[in-house]
Amino acid sequence: MTLLWIPLLSLLGSIISSRTGKLTRNQSTTLSLLMPVIALILTITLAPNVFAGAIFRESFSWVPLLGIDLAFRLDGLSILFVFMILGIGILVIFYARYYLSSNDSLPKLYAYLMLFMTAMLGIVMSNNVIQLWFFWELTSISSFLLISYWWHKPEARKGATMALTITGGGGLALLGGLLLLGDMVGSYNLDVILVSKELIQAHAWYEVSLILILLGAFTKSAQFPFHFWLPHAMAAPTPVSAYLHSATMVKAGIFLLARFYPALAGTDLWFILVSLTGLATLLFAAYVALFKHDLKGLLAYSTISHLGLITLLFGLDTKLAAVAAIFHIINHATFKASLFMATGIIDHETGTRDMRKLNGMWRFMPYTATLAMVAASAMAGVPLLNGFLSKEMFFAETLHQQLLGSMSWLIPVLATVAGALAVAYSARFVHDVFFNGDPIDLPKQPSEPPRYMRVPIEILVALCLVVGIFPNFVVDDILKAASTAVLGGYVPEFKVALWHGFNLPLLMSGFAVIGGLLLYTQRRHLFAFQASLPTVNAKQFFDDSVYNITKWCQHKINTIENGSLQRYLVVMFILVLFFAGWPLFEMSQLIGQNSATPVDMHNAIGAALLMFGAISTVIWYRSRVVSLLMLSVVGLMVSVAFTRFSAPDLALTQLTVEVVTIILLMLALFFLPQYTQKESSSTRVLRDLGISAALGIIVGSICYALITRPFESISDFFIANAKTGGGGTNVVNVILVDFRGFDTLGEICVLGIAALGIYKLLLNLPLLIPRSDSEGRPWAKERYPLLLESISQSLLPLALMVSFYIFLRGHNLPGGGFIAGLITAVAFILQYIAHGSNWIAQRLTINYRKIIATGIVIALSTGLGSWFFSRPFMTTWFDYFDIPLIGKTELASALVFDLGVYLTVVGSTLMILASLGKLTANEPKDGVHS
Amino acid sequence: MELLYAACVGLLVFCGVFLILRARTFPIVLGLTMFSYAVNLFLFASGRLSINKAAVLGYSADYADPLPQAFVLTAIVIGFAMTAFVVILAIRGRADLGTDHVDGEKTSQDKKVNV
Amino acid sequence: MMQHLSFLPILLPMLAGVTLLMPPFGSHKKIRRIASVTMSIVVFFASLALLLKVQTDGVVVYAIGDWSAPFGIVLVADALSTLLVCLTTLLGVVCTLYASAGDDEKGSFFHPLTHFLILGVNGAFLTGDAFNLFVFFEVLLIASYSLLMHGGDKKNTRAALQYVIMNLVGSAIFLIALGVLYGVLGTLNMADMAQQVSQLQGDDVYLAKIGGLLLLVVFALKGALLPLHLWLPNTYATAMPVVAALFAIMTKVGVYSMMRVYTLIFGDEAGELSHMAQSWLWWFALATIAVGAVGVLASKSLRKLTANLVIVSVGTLVALVAIQTVEASAAAIYYLIHSTLVTAALFLLADLIGRQRGKYTDQITAGHAIMQPRLLGCCFLVAAVTVIGMPPLSGFIAKVWLLKETLHANYAFVFWPLYLIASLAVLVGVTKAGVTLFWRHQNTVLANNEQQGVNLPQIIALLILIVAAPLMSIFAGPLSEYALGAASQLHDFNDNIDMILSGGQ
Repeated sequence: MTLLWIPLLSLLGSIISSRTGKLTRNQSTTLSLLMPVIALILTITLAPNVFAGAIFRESFSWVPLLGIDLAFRLDGLSILFVFMILGIGILVIFYARYYLSSNDSLPKLYAYLMLFMTAMLGIVMSNNVIQLWFFWELTSISSFLLISYWWHKPEARKGATMALTITGGGGLALLGGLLLLGDMVGSYNLDVILVSKELIQAHAWYEVSLILILLGAFTKSAQFPFHFWLPHAMAAPTPVSAYLHSATMVKAGIFLLARFYPALAGTDLWFILVSLTGLATLLFAAYVALFKHDLKGLLAYSTISHLGLITLLFGLDTKLAAVAAIFHIINHATFKASLFMATGIIDHETGTRDMRKLNGMWRFMPYTATLAMVAASAMAGVPLLNGFLSKEMFFAETLHQQLLGSMSWLIPVLATVAGALAVAYSARFVHDVFFNGDPIDLPKQPSEPPRYMRVPIEILVALCLVVGIFPNFVVDDILKAASTAVLGGYVPEFKVALWHGFNLPLLMSGFAVIGGLLLYTQRRHLFAFQASLPTVNAKQFFDDSVYNITKWCQHKINTIENGSLQRYLVVMFILVLFFAGWPLFEMSQLIGQNSATPVDMHNAIGAALLMFGAISTVIWYRSRVVSLLMLSVVGLMVSVAFTRFSAPDLALTQLTVEVVTIILLMLALFFLPQYTQKESSSTRVLRDLGISAALGIIVGSICYALITRPFESISDFFIANAKTGGGGTNVVNVILVDFRGFDTLGEICVLGIAALGIYKLLLNLPLLIPRSDSEGRPWAKERYPLLLESISQSLLPLALMVSFYIFLRGHNLPGGGFIAGLITAVAFILQYIAHGSNWIAQRLTINYRKIIATGIVIALSTGLGSWFFSRPFMTTWFDYFDIPLIGKTELASALVFDLGVYLTVVGSTLMILASLGKLTANEPKDGVHS
Repeated sequence: MELLYAACVGLLVFCGVFLILRARTFPIVLGLTMFSYAVNLFLFASGRLSINKAAVLGYSADYADPLPQAFVLTAIVIGFAMTAFVVILAIRGRADLGTDHVDGEKTSQDKKVNV
Repeated sequence: MMQHLSFLPILLPMLAGVTLLMPPFGSHKKIRRIASVTMSIVVFFASLALLLKVQTDGVVVYAIGDWSAPFGIVLVADALSTLLVCLTTLLGVVCTLYASAGDDEKGSFFHPLTHFLILGVNGAFLTGDAFNLFVFFEVLLIASYSLLMHGGDKKNTRAALQYVIMNLVGSAIFLIALGVLYGVLGTLNMADMAQQVSQLQGDDVYLAKIGGLLLLVVFALKGALLPLHLWLPNTYATAMPVVAALFAIMTKVGVYSMMRVYTLIFGDEAGELSHMAQSWLWWFALATIAVGAVGVLASKSLRKLTANLVIVSVGTLVALVAIQTVEASAAAIYYLIHSTLVTAALFLLADLIGRQRGKYTDQITAGHAIMQPRLLGCCFLVAAVTVIGMPPLSGFIAKVWLLKETLHANYAFVFWPLYLIASLAVLVGVTKAGVTLFWRHQNTVLANNEQQGVNLPQIIALLILIVAAPLMSIFAGPLSEYALGAASQLHDFNDNIDMILSGGQ
């Protein structure tokens, strides 16, 4: 459990400190410090064994199916990073307490900081690559929260978003790479991956996964050309910068290189990619750093350049290079953290970070100045300080590599140049700020900071010195342990020492120092030259590209989704055309084996009428009434067709539905324009004609292909069981109420819902009832024709009787609840038309909603009845009784079900038409449809 | 016979689709109705055509396939409900939008909102 | 009762819908709300019970009217369908609860219609009969039409017209497809169809193919798969958010139908027609992801953004379905649950945020400050991290899983870059939205009447969806096992056929 506790404790800390809002700042700080300190102690207890070469492992199963486990490991590399993360984390927490002004929430900062700490610990201790990515992304999220701590500042928002975008993108690449890696070796476990170097590097996917993983690493550790997010991340409070950009976030990328060094390194691709990226970053950033007027800006670029140095070291093809890299990781963490903190103090005490204003601080804060100067000289690589040692090693390695073949000498030269630049900007940091005349209109009167604010810096600077002077005592163990982890066992002999005698590296250092100082003294010309260069602003570029992409997307989307229903429909029809047409062409022949039945007179006439109706509907579609009439002709012919092809039920249904539909459309026309004006261009008409013709042909042919083929279906079962099983001779009706009664249940639901929906649509709809039609002819004054009134009244009882009869016979002869329902509805609608809805409303008050509900309930409960006989839903029952006077009668549960159907149909239809009718009943208002 | 039937179906589809592709609600409704006629006939025909066969037991030796008839009946009812709804929606649209035009020119809603 | 358990997810919503129309529920607002929410909770627990039953006793086949397949209609409750039914009913609970805060009174019949919609969706998930599937599609569609117009404005009407008309055409195409299939196979029971398909010869094969491909059009329309996705963004963005949240399940109905039809009927055993839709699905899916990602970047309001996220998720799902291996289907199942819940949550959040920004509503532009930034901010952070697919929430499991399963698919080298870039687009889009909505505001104070604080039912409803994300991540182990089981059940052809045609014995 011990390993798990290390990240867990810091997570706990995050939660605790987020709850300390009520306490004083000191209490909150102490509480927050508690957990990390415990974690640190825990790590220290483990340290000896790790230095002795032991690797601690722990794992808990999480998603075995995907090979995602919670697996932790603690080896030399991990423990090195754990120490940095916890150690510097603790110092930063302590420091932040004094840095943060009283109106900023301390607990919030602490909570985020320790969340971030947890994520970092997770990364360095992962033994499962997916888990590693998991924590990797967590750092992206938590760093987003940290950088945007002052979210009300635009630059904070921008910086945070940019950091998240770049590192998040890199994270995606990394995930890809890791998944590929896992797939290659067949496990996500690091133990397995680290030992299967040959397998991986022989694999076809090696290059892809390497590039993806490197993308992840380079974006995170701000390598050129992904560096630009880091300077903007400086919008964060200085403690955050001190943490993220010295020891942790940016080091995560470096850690990744170190972690996968045993598995991925050793190929030319690795060396070229890593070393050249590193070199480019090293030089470029060092150069830019020289011209930054903002202290944090300078430090930001120097950080980038040092990261470049470390990356370059990992890219050099000499064993010791990796060792040097690790050593520099430690040193950079210490001096950079202290420098950031010093900057924080200066900022805190003077209210500015602009080096053009900051001068002669020595007089105001000599103590801080001393600390800062020591740290800065460590950054420059001055002897007696840790920076010097690792730089010496770096120079030495650049001399041994054979990377660029005959041109390999370039690298040491460029390295020296970079060294010189480093000296130069360090010199500027020291000289510009602490000497160089008097301060220029500072916002605040500078003075030494509170005593304890300096403590963290003192500790770090002390470290710089100790490491610098007695390297062997301090860092040997951990350096060896870490190197063992990185180099996978074999570590070459190396000796970190202050004095190696006069040798080339020393000479290079000498050159660097002298060159750097020269550069600094001659900086005026340099600045002038730099000023003459066109400024390339990466941030601007980033913003613009994001903006342009967004604009492009919006344009594309607007062109695709232009809101034209016609276009959407055309797309769909074309798809149908293609899908239905393509197999047709694969068919050998359309016509099937059945012998064609001859055409008789009736059918011919019927067909002719139907075609006439259809075509004339299209021709006269603009004058809507005419087209409606023509449409009704078609409907009529369809029902005739049904009778002709022995489907009486269908015919009846079609007929009644037809009537109701036409009435509905007529009513609707009252509210819609009477005429459609011509608008679609001729080309458009041609296109539509083409599409519809093609569809017609395709569907027609499919239909033809079907009906000319012999056919086997399950229907015989229904015919066989209709009487015996369903108790009815009208097979269709039996299917509807029994075999497939469930469909009917759904169907009446649809009808009912539709009625509800329509009521909903028309409820208090602001409609202009035109006095006149579109031609300006006024509607007839006497609204209800007398003749119709009298007839309809006399018709009503008759119609009801008919529907009752139709209903009863339904089970055995064509008819049934649905048709009966529609007939009843029509009869009532007739009343509406004859007398207007007000007249009806006075005479019979029906709540259609209730009728619908009752209908469905009846149908439903008939179905449920069967449960009492522990049969499935809708198991029907019927029997024959001898009832006096009437004789032998059949009683079937299906009949009750049909009653439900009947009621629903009546209710829905009336509800639909009545709610539409109500509108017409309103008093005509002025206002004419255009 | 079969050919004639298929031709009718094809023609109905043709007319229906053409009307559906018009830019106003009412023709579209007509088109949908026509299209549903075609579809019903098509579905009906999937049980093959049978002239002078019985749909009710005890009237003839051989029967028309009852299952497609049941399907079509359900389809007709549902189609009726849908047509009713879309008609009313068209009216509502006319009232809300002041036009029965559904071809989306000048209708991209959120133009003014800046990014 | 236990024997009828698999029928309850259909019966109870229907009862609920109907009774809510009757007095006293029809008349009294308060009673109606309480009744509606309780009933949806009951349905949810019934579905849960069914899930457990299926877990213990295996697939349950319920022959309605005691007419066994293929003659009668059977309900098939297996691991997948019951899981989705549970998801649907959970959404039902959330939406009825959320709407009870006041949205339900912005138009008539909200609660009955919601229950009818759930009825339709559950039916579509459970039924084993193709024509019955059509009927339930119609039920859920007609309910969705009415809900779409709930408390609607002009924009809304325009979107509704498009949505309704397109779906009417879709239904017609569905009928044609059924006609063709019946005309060739002589049956519409899915299991029986599967058997018949495997025995087809000659030109009948191509007729069946037509049927299958036409079904693809229908399902693609329902599932908003490119190029038939065009109706979705406006429809979802203009619908009342609580309705949109409920609709989050509807695209999944289309995807589910694809899973069923193209693994069971046109699956491994279908001879010439096996996996006939696979390549279509794959490329359509990829295009859908691309367009969805573009839409995400282009979105100008949080609701539009979420609508486009729905499109991306559909694309991803269908890509997994198209691979048609057990593992891929398992990944699809997990992803389906995750994406449905998170998109629903985002719709609700868009609503709550919009209510507190006055006239700026949920538009992604600097506006008034939000009244409850802490509460909504935390919820949004969770939802955002989930939908982006970052750790530690369910999104990252889904992402890792689907990348893992697509790795060995044909043309993986197209899918991977596309998907990774799309994820980056989502990251950028969502981050921008969050930063703008919560952090960029003029320092103007709104009068209280312009701002509405979150009230209890709303926050409970939202939290149900929000907590799902961490839970799905913590219990990813058992969940993934379940998904795998469901997937293997889905792919086990013979088992399905025997089970269904023998009536579950």
